[in-house]
Amino acid sequence: MKPGTRLKSATCDTEVMVIRSADGTIECGGAPMGEEKPASLAPLSADFSAGTLMGKRYVDADGKYELLCVKPGKGSLSVDGVALVVKDAKPLPASD
Amino acid sequence: MTQVMKGVRVLEVAQFVFVPCAGAILAEWGADVIKVEHPVRGDAQRGMRTIAGVTFDPVANPMIQHPNRGKRSIGIDITQPEGQQLIYDLAKDADVFLTNYLPSARQKLKIDVEHIRAVNPKIIYARGSGYGDKGPDRDRGGFDATAFYIHSGVAHAITPEEFDVPLTMGVGGMGDSQAGMYLAGGIAGALFHRSQTGEPTEVDVSLLSTAMWMSGQVVGTYLHGGKQMRVGMPQAGGAKVNPFLGHFLTSDQRVISLFIMVPDPYIRDTFEHLGLPEAAEDPRFANALALMENSAAANALITEAFAAKPFDYWREHLKTMKGQWAAVQSMLDLGDDPQAIANDAFFEVEPIDGSTPIRVVRGPVQFDHAPAKSNRAPEPSEHTETVLLELGLDWERIESLKAAGAIA
Repeated sequence: MKPGTRLKSATCDTEVMVIRSADGTIECGGAPMGEEKPASLAPLSADFSAGTLMGKRYVDADGKYELLCVKPGKGSLSVDGVALVVKDAKPLPASD
Repeated sequence: MTQVMKGVRVLEVAQFVFVPCAGAILAEWGADVIKVEHPVRGDAQRGMRTIAGVTFDPVANPMIQHPNRGKRSIGIDITQPEGQQLIYDLAKDADVFLTNYLPSARQKLKIDVEHIRAVNPKIIYARGSGYGDKGPDRDRGGFDATAFYIHSGVAHAITPEEFDVPLTMGVGGMGDSQAGMYLAGGIAGALFHRSQTGEPTEVDVSLLSTAMWMSGQVVGTYLHGGKQMRVGMPQAGGAKVNPFLGHFLTSDQRVISLFIMVPDPYIRDTFEHLGLPEAAEDPRFANALALMENSAAANALITEAFAAKPFDYWREHLKTMKGQWAAVQSMLDLGDDPQAIANDAFFEVEPIDGSTPIRVVRGPVQFDHAPAKSNRAPEPSEHTETVLLELGLDWERIESLKAAGAIA
């Protein structure tokens, strides 16, 4: 999958920009994502229904995949059935 | 609202609240503000999540919204040579470089005025600091709770002299937000000057200079007179000299404040509104001088009048009073304040997780009587690729920068 490709969920509103990817299948809500939106949505898998967050990056443990959420939805992202996790900022603790 | 800064591009290398607030104001005025954040840690402000015992989720943190509304975020590690080069590439297209990095850090990272001007001689270089960019403390870091509040004498001035230590600065960010507004104003002046003459300027605002300007009315006066007023412990009732100044308790133990500094034109109207028409006829209160001479008697009457009726009664009843007054409110009350809302005080941010919308206070300047169209703060590094693609980089280059850790 070429970086910069926009993928759409087959199960919900989610859209992502592919930043980094390998040969696996990128899924949302348990179903493969594609460049075209299917005419009717597939059912959301209960295991992949935590939702996506606008502007967040999603990565795998090996650093092979990175997806940037450009439109949020109810499904959550995975590659070959393995859930991706949010790549979040790790600021130093602060308090006033 | 007219976007007076439309077409202006700002490159912000800044953290926390003060200087980011300058970028936030410019963004609200229509500028394209690109905020550079560390690719892993993000703006240090993202670590500020707890206030008043409430800890916010990093996904819906109001403390990051106020200073970063409407910006785009790019994750760049400026300590790496490739990251540094990206800053120069971005600076080439920018009108304003905005930073709060200390002088030693700017030198070490090679983002000081000479480095940025080397790639863009016409850029406006805007600095925010704790104590100013000249003098022995130019390299000393500060927050508003130190440079703005303590060093400036403000904390000392507002603390009752009976106390050994200053009052806590109970409004977090109060110096930062003001200083940010001042810096945005300075940048607006610099942009105007550049458009008139073609010449760029450097712009400096510090937390100390902000506090001194805020207090300038009295600082100048005290220095000239050689003596400073100290406040005492606050108490209910009218002031010693002018009974039309003071905080008065209502029957339900809330407070109405009067501040009728020039009483003469308001004596009758005030007494009538307080339900004391006979006092308006009393020769002891016939004019301001008499009123001040007999302030104890007037104070007793006014105190008793306020104590006879509840807060809500007074707040409604005094709406037609000509003299100056205000009801003591909390900041939570502002959420329903009809006057604040009528003036477009807030905009709403829909948190990305779909949780309750966050209300964010709009900037204090309004153009053409219309509210600014403000947007949420970016997620850390959210726009890295978008901005780099705009800059003309291809995906291969983006991937190699990412692999090197130079970008998020």
